[in-house]
Amino acid sequence: MKKIGLVLLYCFILCLSAYFYSAHLHDSTAEAHQRLLPVKIRTVKPGTDEKELQQLVQNANRSGDILSIAGMQHSQGGQTVYPDGIMVDMKPYNQILEVDEDAKTVTVQSGATWADIQEAVNPYGLSLKVSQSQNIFTIGGSLSVNAHGLDIRHGGLSDTVLSMRVLTADGEIRNLSPTENKELFYAVIGGYGLFGIILDATFQLTEDELYVTETQSMDFRDYPAYFKEQVKAKPEAKMHLARLSIAPESLLEEMYAITYETAPDQSKLPEHKQLKTENLVAVPKFFLGLSRINDAGKETFWKTQKTYTEGIDGKLVSRNNVMRSDSEFMEYDNSRKTEVLQEYFVPVDEFESYIPELKAVLEAHPDFNLLNVTVRYVGQNDNAVLSYAKEDMFSLVLLINQGTDPESVADTREIVQEMIDVTLAHRGSYYLPYFGYPTKAQMQKAYPRTNEFFQLKDRYDPDHRFKNLFYEEYRP
Amino acid sequence: MNYKRFIYYQGTIGMASSMIFPFYILLIKNVGNSYAQFGWSYGLFALTAALCYPLIGKYADRVGDKTLLGVYSWGMAVLLLCFPLATEVYHVYILQVLMGVLGAVQKNSEKTVLARFVTKELAGTQIGRYHVWTSIAAAIAVIATGYLVDFLTIATIFYIASLVYAWSGMQLMKLKEVEAEI
Repeated sequence: MKKIGLVLLYCFILCLSAYFYSAHLHDSTAEAHQRLLPVKIRTVKPGTDEKELQQLVQNANRSGDILSIAGMQHSQGGQTVYPDGIMVDMKPYNQILEVDEDAKTVTVQSGATWADIQEAVNPYGLSLKVSQSQNIFTIGGSLSVNAHGLDIRHGGLSDTVLSMRVLTADGEIRNLSPTENKELFYAVIGGYGLFGIILDATFQLTEDELYVTETQSMDFRDYPAYFKEQVKAKPEAKMHLARLSIAPESLLEEMYAITYETAPDQSKLPEHKQLKTENLVAVPKFFLGLSRINDAGKETFWKTQKTYTEGIDGKLVSRNNVMRSDSEFMEYDNSRKTEVLQEYFVPVDEFESYIPELKAVLEAHPDFNLLNVTVRYVGQNDNAVLSYAKEDMFSLVLLINQGTDPESVADTREIVQEMIDVTLAHRGSYYLPYFGYPTKAQMQKAYPRTNEFFQLKDRYDPDHRFKNLFYEEYRP
Repeated sequence: MNYKRFIYYQGTIGMASSMIFPFYILLIKNVGNSYAQFGWSYGLFALTAALCYPLIGKYADRVGDKTLLGVYSWGMAVLLLCFPLATEVYHVYILQVLMGVLGAVQKNSEKTVLARFVTKELAGTQIGRYHVWTSIAAAIAVIATGYLVDFLTIATIFYIASLVYAWSGMQLMKLKEVEAEI
């Protein structure tokens, strides 16, 4: 009897611990990212209220300090840091200012995360139009990198911003929108924190919906036609994502696609409405861990992903939950290695000819440790000065495991530059928030308005109050 | 408790403790950030152990080794459940103090059991053999855990170790009292 009591007591404490641990896990903003770019900054100033932030900029104008702006700091090219500068940490500036149920809008401070917005609007049956696939990022950060996500119907992130307020280098707060201060508006979106501090933004929302998951595996050659006919042409298909194989036997050949389509019967939405949290981190983390080690691990990882995807076919899920993709399993702690991302955009019609060339680059470098390739769709959208979607594009996000020693960095640089050359040759472009591997010439080619971008920077911030490593690397 | 069972038990808890001790530093790294904090957390552990030994020594003769080992196993099982929840350095300090107490219980009991069992003439051989098995268990655990931390989160390690401790506690309870009096 005593024994059973003891065991039961233990089980109770075990459950209690697991419960508190997972609760803590979900609200923590604990960061574990690896530094390829160790930079010494002088101080970190938390952004707490508008007046203080204004004061901070004015003080920096007097003292000549350089300001860099930080959200979650998941960009990898030093966009949030400047040596010996002051980093303005916007994470504490994270209030949801207003949810307007009738107008379907939300106004938030820039340090709030997409998860914060989801929690605020979900009770009203509302949902974001466009957000990043992972919801851990801050609004200010995502706007500054002009992020995109799974939605295929609502254009780019910039199309969903009704207005924002930005604290510019002169210490003034300006209202920006597609009609007011338009030029600055489209420079700030995708502006990498070089035009001022985004204080708050108002987003147009849409209604939360119930989706049914459709999955399909295929050869990559069939994918563009599949996408055009089975996804884009189907009005009920709302969100989409695909994965290319990283397993050596089917490298960049096999792929599977996941599409979320409006469910014919919306009456079950209330059952699926509750926002999900990340639960089984250990499982994907384990398989990703296997895939880091060797080719056999990659085969296993790919097979598991495929089986899992087949398993979710037909499942019902709410729009808000689709927009809450897991990311925690990707956390990786290793002192000599790190994981970096690359993202390439290639026109839909070029995909079939592009993939074999990309594969050739990868196969020429057998040591290059590629862990995952996801494919998303980005509709043509060139309103941001630094716009990557010059036409309707597929985006490929590559997760790469690399060493942090100078030799490994040099190796990765070489491969990345080769991959970008291939991408550019197919009228493609690449995404700027990642490590500064690409050359200046590559940036000019991928972003024809690069010079205009830096000219605008000089005009709106003549003293270069806002600077970061990205600016230093790519300014003319 | 017969001697074989005792080695088996020590092997089990040796596995559990070597699962966490080397990697435990990873947790402190996440929580604290200076060498001084490392020093303090281990120092507190040793200091509390030192203060507890006289008391534990006295109790060992009165309540028996089995009870004390049971306190150690279940105590550790529960304590490890608190580790994943530690977010501040002082949490780690508190846990270290409690671990110090339990560590002292284990160290003392390990030695009393050995002292009660070994025959003076063969003490060297017997204790040597004892260490072979407990060290092998510890070695396997520490290597395997290295891989586990790569795959799982550090918190998972604490949960697994806690379960191993709980299991060792159950094993102890299964032993008949007669056996317990060596």
